Amino acid sequence: MVKISVLQHAPSTHLPARPGDPTPTSRNLDPLMHPFARARERMRALNAAKMDRIFAKPFVASLEGHIDAVEVLCKKPGTVSTIASGSWDGGVIVHNIAEQKHSHRIQGAHKGKVSGLCFADGDKLLSCGVDCNIKLWDVSLQEEDSQQKPLNVFAGKSPFNSLDHHRSDRLFATASNIVQIWDETKSAAISDLTFSTATETVTSVRFNLAETSVLGSIGSDRSFTLYDIRTGKAERRVIMQMRSNALSWSPTFPTSVLLASEDHNLYTFDVRNLSSPLHIYKAHVAPVMSCEWSPTGLEFVSGGWDRTVRIWKEGRGTNPEVYHTKRMQRVSSSIFTADARFVISGSDDGNVRIWKAKASERLGIVTARERAAIEYRDSLKDRWKHDQDVGKISRTRHLPKPVYQAAQLKRTMLEAQRVKEERRRRHTRAGQSKPKAERKKIVLTEQT
Amino acid sequence: MHTSKTLNYAAHAARAKTLLQDAELLLADDAGLMQVENDMEKTWRVGQDEVVKGAGQEGSGGRQEWKLDGGPYRSRYSRNGRHLAIVGSTGHVATFDWQTGTIHAELQLQETCRDITFLQDQSFFAVAQKKYVFVYDRDGVELHRLKAHIEPTRLEFLPYHWLLASVGNTGYLKYQDTSTGLLVAEHRTKAGACRTMAQNRHNAVIHLGHQNGVVSLWTPNLSHPTVQLLAHLGPVVGLSVDPSTGGRYMASSGADGTVKVWDCRNWKGAVRQWTTRGGVAELEWSAKGALAVASGGSVNVYTKPSIQAPFAPKVAPPLYLTHPVPHRPLTSVRFCPFQDILTIGHNAGLSSILAPGSGEPNFDSTEADPFEGKKTRREREVKGLLDKIPPDMIALDVDFVGSLAPPTKLTTAVNDKHDVPFARLPRLERLRVQGKVDETELEGGIEVDDNTNEEGDGNGKKQSKEEREKRKMRGKGKSVKRYLRKQRKNVIDPTAVAIRAKLEKQREERRVAKAIEKGEMEPKKPSALDRFRRS
Repeated sequence: MVKISVLQHAPSTHLPARPGDPTPTSRNLDPLMHPFARARERMRALNAAKMDRIFAKPFVASLEGHIDAVEVLCKKPGTVSTIASGSWDGGVIVHNIAEQKHSHRIQGAHKGKVSGLCFADGDKLLSCGVDCNIKLWDVSLQEEDSQQKPLNVFAGKSPFNSLDHHRSDRLFATASNIVQIWDETKSAAISDLTFSTATETVTSVRFNLAETSVLGSIGSDRSFTLYDIRTGKAERRVIMQMRSNALSWSPTFPTSVLLASEDHNLYTFDVRNLSSPLHIYKAHVAPVMSCEWSPTGLEFVSGGWDRTVRIWKEGRGTNPEVYHTKRMQRVSSSIFTADARFVISGSDDGNVRIWKAKASERLGIVTARERAAIEYRDSLKDRWKHDQDVGKISRTRHLPKPVYQAAQLKRTMLEAQRVKEERRRRHTRAGQSKPKAERKKIVLTEQT
Repeated sequence: MHTSKTLNYAAHAARAKTLLQDAELLLADDAGLMQVENDMEKTWRVGQDEVVKGAGQEGSGGRQEWKLDGGPYRSRYSRNGRHLAIVGSTGHVATFDWQTGTIHAELQLQETCRDITFLQDQSFFAVAQKKYVFVYDRDGVELHRLKAHIEPTRLEFLPYHWLLASVGNTGYLKYQDTSTGLLVAEHRTKAGACRTMAQNRHNAVIHLGHQNGVVSLWTPNLSHPTVQLLAHLGPVVGLSVDPSTGGRYMASSGADGTVKVWDCRNWKGAVRQWTTRGGVAELEWSAKGALAVASGGSVNVYTKPSIQAPFAPKVAPPLYLTHPVPHRPLTSVRFCPFQDILTIGHNAGLSSILAPGSGEPNFDSTEADPFEGKKTRREREVKGLLDKIPPDMIALDVDFVGSLAPPTKLTTAVNDKHDVPFARLPRLERLRVQGKVDETELEGGIEVDDNTNEEGDGNGKKQSKEEREKRKMRGKGKSVKRYLRKQRKNVIDPTAVAIRAKLEKQREERRVAKAIEKGEMEPKKPSALDRFRRS
């Protein structure tokens, strides 16, 4: 007796039970059922990379209001949408970036430029300027008042370059020719901090975010100095090859500090070992004027004299995301918003610009299916990033012609320098001149 | 870091394998089968009546006879196995859903039609007609006349590349991109009219069988066959590639009545061959690896392990199933995807028989779904277009995508030393390393200078320096020399090389003529063999 059975598909399992139901799907993971799986996945990855570039529209909005270059930006701790900007015309504006409106505006806060800006407790804003004054403002919502009086004025002896508020106490630090610590309730500085042998102009000062009594400053002496307000002393100081223009403490890794240098690079230092930087970040083609960590501590933003804003991944020293527009001039300040989704830049053309931190991110509500599709595309891009075409598409960025040419020129010059150095070494006696690692060249001396 | 990553990949691959085995447990449907209890019983003795009886109510729907005029008929199933397109040689074309019996289109084209194929799904089909290939939509409205495909005999559609391949009496293999409408490639096979074509579904290589017994494998990006083998003595009439082993085996049949099974990894001799009764045989492999051979007045089905095992004697493998069809000639055999059905086209129409165990029981809805609705079909079409693989990527080895690039044969060693990276080598060295430097150029230039010097010496021994310089300069403005000078880029350029060779030849002729004039050489006597000399 022969046993016979013929393949049958029961319609009841493969057709929707009721009209309107989705058709049931069935899967068979046998590789023979999926010819060209790899080639098709590569095409999908290629499309994902292309879509990513197509949807890369990072510019969100431009906030106007200043009549001169924007010098300084700061965000309000504990909020997502409030930022303040200070300008060369002496005006201060508090922006609501969610509504893209001015929530408060102080005209002529200082004579000359506003050089430092920082939120104090509550709705109070501290500003300092080159007119040797620090002013405390009340910026709780109120009608616009051009002749607003400050709550308090702290008079100094020399022009201030920067100020930063203590994380928890009612203290703030200022940078002029020395670093001073002030109490909000007292009219004179409570202590002066200075390195014994230094006679420099301090350009910026920042409190550490975790070790709240530790303070870092940079100065015109090409120096980076560490202070402790508990001892009231400058602890350590390093002199570097070129001066730094901005510094920022990592929010998640307390010993890590980021310096934006005049030599077009950014450096992260571990303050426990200041003899060489941890990482060098190279892409700017002009001095870097500002830098700030993202609240996640995984990336940071920098703005430069080359009129670009760049967003870097921590630990990846090249190929940052680069933002530019035709009308944006030199970027003098750049910050991340507290939700790490946006980047704010202030530039010489007097505008404050809002950018997305991820260029192709979609704003607004994203449905679950869309989210799944986006995640699938991201993983495809990651998986196929070594493919020639996929990698090229996701790597390439358009640069403005001057920036592109400057980069070319810079590369040529560095190459020539390196070749010259190599030749020189080849023609000196063996062992006489050893190549020096790039990281060892940065710091000249360390002082304690 | 690197090793840990590779280890991760290895672990991932192993995990994927076990997951795949787990997933097999979830497969819902069982394959059909025919089993005997002892050696005395044979499955081929079981006739269709018995199979139908054993198949039950649902399964017996596959056994059908379509009595049609205007044969012999050829047929083609859509990729999900739900729709059938048939074409009679005198121009009767029909497409229909064979399960429900709904006819989509029925046409009387009133000219010779040689083949039919569905495009991406049942909504389009292409017919190889007397002069050209025509594309029709689901309702039978003529959409395109593909004038580039002249006198086509066979059609194949490559679904993942969206290519319609045709071959015809002119001996040209043409690829038409059905999504953009462009003619992607046309290859002259140089083997005359071609009446046999098959595709390998796993690497989209087209197999052609020629009149001279040669089987050739083609890809769009190569103008010559990737593989060419002399398979039969006399014309090749049937070809099919085994989908159950990822295209590893190919079966071919010749007009001499032999059927051969080939291993596509090693073309040295057939794995197995036998002679059929009744001559010309049509072939088709099923998804589960059953080979149907239609020859003379019957269809024989052979199953897997025996047809693919090397076996020297030229005897037919053990028969699995046989069915007599009394309407010669049998012109096509097609297995229905995801069913145990074999459709035979013959002079009096078509007959479908049940071949238990030949079909893949579990379909994957993302690839082909027999139960798909209108929306799913649309979505699949769009997804398929997005995932369309460029025709250049068709190659014998599909796994080259995503694999490591082969190590380059170029080396940056200068004088066997690697101390300078490629980017920092001087340009001449870079060209030398790349194999592009033109070494002949320098030698040629020197020779020219030498020649002029010699001439100068021959005429008047002593020349002032100015005069030599002057002589040297002369002739520099000649158009050919100027051209050559401008081409002096240290890159081998075929035209420049050709011109240089020509100049060399002329110089040699002049030298010989001069020598003859002086009496140093004897002129060559004309010979009878001169007529064969290449000028």
